[in-house]
Amino acid sequence: MARIDRRAATWGILAVAVALGIALFGSGNLRWFDAALVGYLFGTLFAIFGVVYRYLIWLRRPPTARLHRRAWSAFLKPGARARNAAAVPGLVVNKLLLQSFIWGRSRARWLAHQLIFWGCVLAALVTFPLTFGLLHFESVGQNGRQYRTFIGGLGTMTFDSRSFVGWVNFHLLDISAVLVLAGVFIFLSRRLRDPGALAVERSNDFLALAGLFAVSVTGLALTASNLWMGGRFYVFLNTVHALTVILGLMYIPFGKLFHIFQRPAHLGAAYYKREGADGAQQMCSRCGEPFASQLQMGDLKQVLPQVGFDYDLEGGGGSYQDNCPKCRRLMVAFAQGRAVGGFG
Amino acid sequence: MTGHVVPVSIGRKPPPRPPRQDAFGENIFVIDQSRCIGCNACVQACEECGTHRGHSMIHLDEVDRAASTQTAPMVCMHCEDPTCAEVCPTDAIKQNEDGVVQSSLKPRCIGCSNCVLACPFGVPKYVSEFDQMMKCDMCYDRSSVGLKPMCASVCPSEALWFGTPEEFAATRQGTLVNEWWFGNQYVATKVHTVADAPGSIDVTAGDGERPWQDDPFGLNEMASGE
Repeated sequence: MARIDRRAATWGILAVAVALGIALFGSGNLRWFDAALVGYLFGTLFAIFGVVYRYLIWLRRPPTARLHRRAWSAFLKPGARARNAAAVPGLVVNKLLLQSFIWGRSRARWLAHQLIFWGCVLAALVTFPLTFGLLHFESVGQNGRQYRTFIGGLGTMTFDSRSFVGWVNFHLLDISAVLVLAGVFIFLSRRLRDPGALAVERSNDFLALAGLFAVSVTGLALTASNLWMGGRFYVFLNTVHALTVILGLMYIPFGKLFHIFQRPAHLGAAYYKREGADGAQQMCSRCGEPFASQLQMGDLKQVLPQVGFDYDLEGGGGSYQDNCPKCRRLMVAFAQGRAVGGFG
Repeated sequence: MTGHVVPVSIGRKPPPRPPRQDAFGENIFVIDQSRCIGCNACVQACEECGTHRGHSMIHLDEVDRAASTQTAPMVCMHCEDPTCAEVCPTDAIKQNEDGVVQSSLKPRCIGCSNCVLACPFGVPKYVSEFDQMMKCDMCYDRSSVGLKPMCASVCPSEALWFGTPEEFAATRQGTLVNEWWFGNQYVATKVHTVADAPGSIDVTAGDGERPWQDDPFGLNEMASGE
């Protein structure tokens, strides 16, 4: 059995404690805490622990640790801080929010990912504050149609429940479910019909889609029960929905959805590459052409032994890694040519 | 040889059966750069593969354009212990149960190029358009169901070849080799190459010797009585 990492577990427990603290204070000592949502809270706390634990273990892998350190030092480099800070909004919008790198791969995949992404963001913005008791609604005076939205103890906007704003407010999760389902169907149609996608399928790919589908459909079923079925099966549907959501939350640290927490490293890589491009370049020891930053090649040569490789040449003749990728291919070809007595 | 089966790599028809651990059966991939005639058929065919449609993953390099017409192809050698996967900061490169090292997982790859710069065979490609790495996955939609990878299906000189060791022995000369040395580093690969004798190939041992250029027809060797 794998050993539990104490350091990561401690940080995980700390994160859970902070989350509980937020729930406690944010809900006015549980005054606005909705007890019906306690199952969701437990699911969320489990997800928080799991994500923090896995994230810290992931950060400890030698190449990850090095990139993490280098990216932050590149970002905080004296003299470049203003430039780096100014680049943050563009990078966040481009790489994390609009995910423009998917656009080049396929318009349909980009659209599907955007639908799921914004659907999930919307759902998270509604559900987590509700679960933590940070967000609640109160009727205004004796007017049953008027509601006021409270964030913590702070009253914000008042709206008529029969108005358009009211309709949108009470159906935010339905809207997010429709967005997610649209994305799931696009992804599923690709995954079920494209031979290339089918061949490289991993079980995680389907599980993540199945989870999103289940959460969205069972959530919509609650609204359907309310609107068109006179509330029939509501308790049953509510239980099924809660179960799918809680299982979904518990799945986040283990499966494909963990990439949500890995993606910000994309920004780190951008700063790292920029730092490398600004610095000295590594010349190929064979053809003499520049092929990478000295920064990255130096890092790589330190990481390789840490993960069990030794590409040093005999007799202190440098490293095989000092050759550019093209020269490596040629060296392999020449070696094979020698092994069969020459080309042709 | 898969007989008269017409491979379907593009379109909506799913493969006849799902990949499984023994999908390759006895088949092996063999690369023999010395037989390459530089026709570029592999480069074109590679683009047709369903797993990386529109993007050619094979490398075809001119070894020394000024001195020779010789070209050399390179596919992913599918190392048993892939360096690319080990240096990936996001753990985006996975090896299947059957030993094929897959292209980067799209949700994870952050385009740092560590794999591109660490691969001893110089295989992974950084695609700036996607800000991600892509590489040869041995046409997994085809090879996992027993079909030849696209490059091997079109190579006229059989520099790129896919079949059983028995078929190789019956139709080709040379010994199959899948062990390499790069300085101090030993690398074993799923893909085989061809040598005159068994053993490993030391890539860095005799670099710089280019007998086919200095003596393309072996005249010096004949004159010296070797």
